[in-house]
Amino acid sequence: MEAGLKTMTIKDSLIAEFESSKNSLFGDLKLREQALEAFSKQGIPGRKSEEYKYVNMELALKGDFKFSSSKKLSTQQIESTQFLKEAIIVVIENGIFSSEHSKINSLPKGLQIINIIDATSNVIFQKHYSKYADINSDAFIALNTAFYSGGVFIRVEKNAVIEKPIHIIHIASASENTILNSRNLIVVEENAQVKIVESYETLDLSAKSFNNVLTEIVVEPNAIVDHFKIQNECELGNLMSTTQAVQKGKSVFSTHTFTLSGSLVRNNLNIVLDGEHIESHLNGLYLTNGNQVVDNHTLVDHREPNCNSNELYKGIIEDKSSATFNGKIYVRKDAQKTNAFQSNKNILLSDDGTINTKPQLEIYADDVKCSHGTSTGKLDADKIFYLRARGLSEASAKKLLMHAFASEVLDGIKGMEELHNYLEERISKRFE
Amino acid sequence: MSNEILEEQINSDYKYGFVTDIEADNAPKGLNEDIIRFISKKKNEPEWMLEYRLKAFKYWLTLEEPHWAHVSYPKPNFQDIIYYSAPKPKVQLNSLDEVDPELLKTFEKLGISIEEQKRLSGVESRIAVDIVMDSVSVKTTFKETLSEKGIIFCSFGEAVQEHPELVKKYMGSVVPYTDNFYAALNSAVFTDGSFCYIPKGVRCPMELSTYFRINASGTGQFERTLIIAAEDAYVSYLEGCTAPMRDENQLHAAVVEIVTHKNAEVKYSTVQNWYPGDKNGKGGIFNFVTKRGICLEDNSKISWTQVETGSAVTWKYPSVILKGDNSVGEFYSVAVTNNYQQADTGTKMMHLGKNTRSTIISKGISAGFSNNSYRGLVRISKGATNARNFSQCDSLLMGDKCGAHTFPYIEIKDKSAVVEHEATTSKIGEDQLFYCKSRGIDNEKAIGLIVNGYCKEVLNKLPMEFAVEAQKLLAVSLEGSVG
Amino acid sequence: MLSIKNLHASIDGKEILKGINLEVKAGEIHAIMGPNGSGKSTLSAVLAGREDYEVTEGSVTFNGKDLLELSPEDRAREGVFLAFQYPVEIPGVSNINFLKTAINEIRAYKGLEPMEAKDFLALVKEKQKLVELDGKLASRSVNEGFSGGEKKRNEIFQMAILEPKLAILDETDSGLDIDALRIVAGGVNKLKSKDNATIVITHYQRLLDYIVPDVVHILYNGKIVKSGPKELALELEEKGYDFIKEEVGA
Repeated sequence: MEAGLKTMTIKDSLIAEFESSKNSLFGDLKLREQALEAFSKQGIPGRKSEEYKYVNMELALKGDFKFSSSKKLSTQQIESTQFLKEAIIVVIENGIFSSEHSKINSLPKGLQIINIIDATSNVIFQKHYSKYADINSDAFIALNTAFYSGGVFIRVEKNAVIEKPIHIIHIASASENTILNSRNLIVVEENAQVKIVESYETLDLSAKSFNNVLTEIVVEPNAIVDHFKIQNECELGNLMSTTQAVQKGKSVFSTHTFTLSGSLVRNNLNIVLDGEHIESHLNGLYLTNGNQVVDNHTLVDHREPNCNSNELYKGIIEDKSSATFNGKIYVRKDAQKTNAFQSNKNILLSDDGTINTKPQLEIYADDVKCSHGTSTGKLDADKIFYLRARGLSEASAKKLLMHAFASEVLDGIKGMEELHNYLEERISKRFE
Repeated sequence: MSNEILEEQINSDYKYGFVTDIEADNAPKGLNEDIIRFISKKKNEPEWMLEYRLKAFKYWLTLEEPHWAHVSYPKPNFQDIIYYSAPKPKVQLNSLDEVDPELLKTFEKLGISIEEQKRLSGVESRIAVDIVMDSVSVKTTFKETLSEKGIIFCSFGEAVQEHPELVKKYMGSVVPYTDNFYAALNSAVFTDGSFCYIPKGVRCPMELSTYFRINASGTGQFERTLIIAAEDAYVSYLEGCTAPMRDENQLHAAVVEIVTHKNAEVKYSTVQNWYPGDKNGKGGIFNFVTKRGICLEDNSKISWTQVETGSAVTWKYPSVILKGDNSVGEFYSVAVTNNYQQADTGTKMMHLGKNTRSTIISKGISAGFSNNSYRGLVRISKGATNARNFSQCDSLLMGDKCGAHTFPYIEIKDKSAVVEHEATTSKIGEDQLFYCKSRGIDNEKAIGLIVNGYCKEVLNKLPMEFAVEAQKLLAVSLEGSVG
Repeated sequence: MLSIKNLHASIDGKEILKGINLEVKAGEIHAIMGPNGSGKSTLSAVLAGREDYEVTEGSVTFNGKDLLELSPEDRAREGVFLAFQYPVEIPGVSNINFLKTAINEIRAYKGLEPMEAKDFLALVKEKQKLVELDGKLASRSVNEGFSGGEKKRNEIFQMAILEPKLAILDETDSGLDIDALRIVAGGVNKLKSKDNATIVITHYQRLLDYIVPDVVHILYNGKIVKSGPKELALELEEKGYDFIKEEVGA
């Protein structure tokens, strides 16, 4: 019969792969098995799934895939991705922590960086691992929890101030289609401060990669965390990036997502505000072109009173690319005196580009201050005209305006001059 | 705890609640064809005007009162209203000295003392005032100065007599009597109002202003305003309203029509302070008004600015039909409700022409037990290429027994449209007041600061003289409503 | 300058302050540290005149006046300044207008003429530099849309403008990253003189590296249980608040 002849679906092969390799996996096998079950229940979300309707995951995962890559990159190749000179470097090469390329020998006081494979017996790790990213809420969380092959555990101890940023570089490199699953846990303890930059790169990639990266971040009372995701993948790179953060009282968490390239990029950013007087900032910039598909899903969950969240996502869409912004602010019944703001602004430059924007407010408390705004438009013709009347060509007038539009998101980067300059340069180049 | 301050200050009184003791010439109560004929005859109207009224009346009889607005109130008994009341004796007045001294006192109490007008007349910014008391226009100032420029500014009744061609041409062209229940009623029974015509190329050198006053008891006020700006003309028009304190509800159902021709601009500002009822919700004006302008030709502009603090129930959507290419419509509004007031107000921006633009800034403030709704429609028709709209609707809550609601309707049928809508809801509370106090600013000043700050974008749009009055009015309406 | 004697205060019938004694002289910086719930914020709220708290016993004199008898605005006019832990947002009211109103109300209280607009602007310009406050923030609405760090900077900016005799900094360090903390502390240090005094309320020692106190008091369970030189703060940080609990035999 035809059904019998049908090749295995990606879901089937993932399940088969798990069965055959499970005895060589590290960590809590029971949890991995539960996660696999959760994954097989959910399956790869199709276009009928409300949460994934604008991004074709099935297409990205079409074909045969391997589950690891043995390709080794040279030091020189890896150094080319280190755009921060003054940083603590952590390299995750094809889903696995690379002790060879990471530079974590003399860490400042109060900072621990451990290969996740060696962290599973750590008490702090155990306290937090997989406690926030719910395997039943999302297929890719389940997939990652079942399969993760490596990653890093970072702990910033109470009262420690880490002045240098920690740069985690995720690199995919393969000559065959590959699915990678890496996992990170970052715990920032009471009154501690840290800056974390995650960048996503592809090097020497000659087939499709699907990088499913999950990072859990715990921000304890009074801690301050600046978090950046810089997405730089090539046209064969597909990225599924989940950030699951939980904040405790009086903490400040700022997260910035810059999607500069890649074939398909899906960001799931979930922040739980589990305490009072918390401040959260979510910034995002996506510049899409070609056939790129970028989908940003954010969820800000206000659980307690007196918190502030502020979200700004901006996008410029060119060619046949498609961008989605789906932002939800959830204010629970007890979360009185919440201030929550959300803004999504897009510029659509081409006839064939698509923008989907879906801002959602779900408010169950009555004494709150919430707002959301969204706008989609084109570049202001009056402004272009004005610049041309001052002697600029139409092309450079447009470049200037696009650059100005994007800059608002860059302005959210405080105290990170090197990173700011790097992004500034990338964006300028993009509009050349 | 927070409600203590609230209650202590909520009790500020309506300061315009005096009754002027002027003998009035009233029509009998009730509404029928005879009453309409009576009104028309009293006003010595031509036959065509009477016919228009009767047509509107017949149409009105077929209608039912609208119920879609987010307000509830006892249905007015249309047979229990006096549809015509004129202060007696009615004589043609030529200078201020001839005005009934009682009436002059009224104006002083209104805070628009004509003395002040006289004083202002020496300076650059001047205001010509038309005063409509109950149903009749009693005094128009600066008529001569205006007529030198060819500007017609007179009572509606006078316009019917002296400029019938203009009235015939424009009356009902923006708000036909078939438009809605209250527009039909007004078209049948309107008694007076203001008429203004700015001829081609003229920039009206002063603000034109009408003060409306309901004085006699048991009356309704049904005035009509018609403003026409011919090509390249400009006028800024102000409207103020007050009424005495009475236990009964009085009905105010006005119609305002604005027409702008090529390159013309009309700025229409309202400070509406009809009696809102007492703090238990007794009495007050039902304010059911149809205001609409049409940017008939290219490059014209109509701008509505309103500060609404009065009326028991308000139902009002000053709108703009953007017919001419490149025309601009604006709506800036502050609507304050306190005690048991209800307001359902907003605007409609109908984009028909190319490159048309509209801006909507609405600031609602709710206190006490009141309900304040914004209802706005932005419609971009097919062919209205490059239309733009920006809407911002903010609600400020004072206390926890009031409600603020936003009902935006956006209909876009042209893909080149750029439409932006923003909405916020926030609450002013004890925290803000305490913060001000601990910087040395007392309660009263603090409330003034906060409310005026919140309304800034709208108050800035009012002409100077009006802005000061509006600020005071806001402070009076809201004193102490914080908690 | 400030004399607090046996101060007891409660909220909703629950006693929070249980007999505070504190003397602050001109030119001094006092730090008050304590675990969560020890009464730190209650103390600052009572001194600034928040009406939710009821003073049940004791007295507070400020430059010879009974502070507790004064309304919050009169306390401000007498020269008490509270830098709020959670500065309040006031939409639509510009920082400048807010401060101009405040400064002129305070001047009126002292029988002085309102400040000339140009003098006021010069003052704003000068003080902005002190906390490296962006000129744009000064013209924006009071605290609206400010980040937590900007709000705290704005508090110190207001303090610089209003020149209080006694400044109470209520957990000014919370939510501040290390760079902002240095700026804020720098501002406070520059404002210090022999005629004014500062009370720094904090949970963590870090702030005291930058604002060095003359005396450190430890508040625990509504009472000052220990006072000492600045080294006390370091000891506290090292041993944690539990050591206080043990020491006072709670």
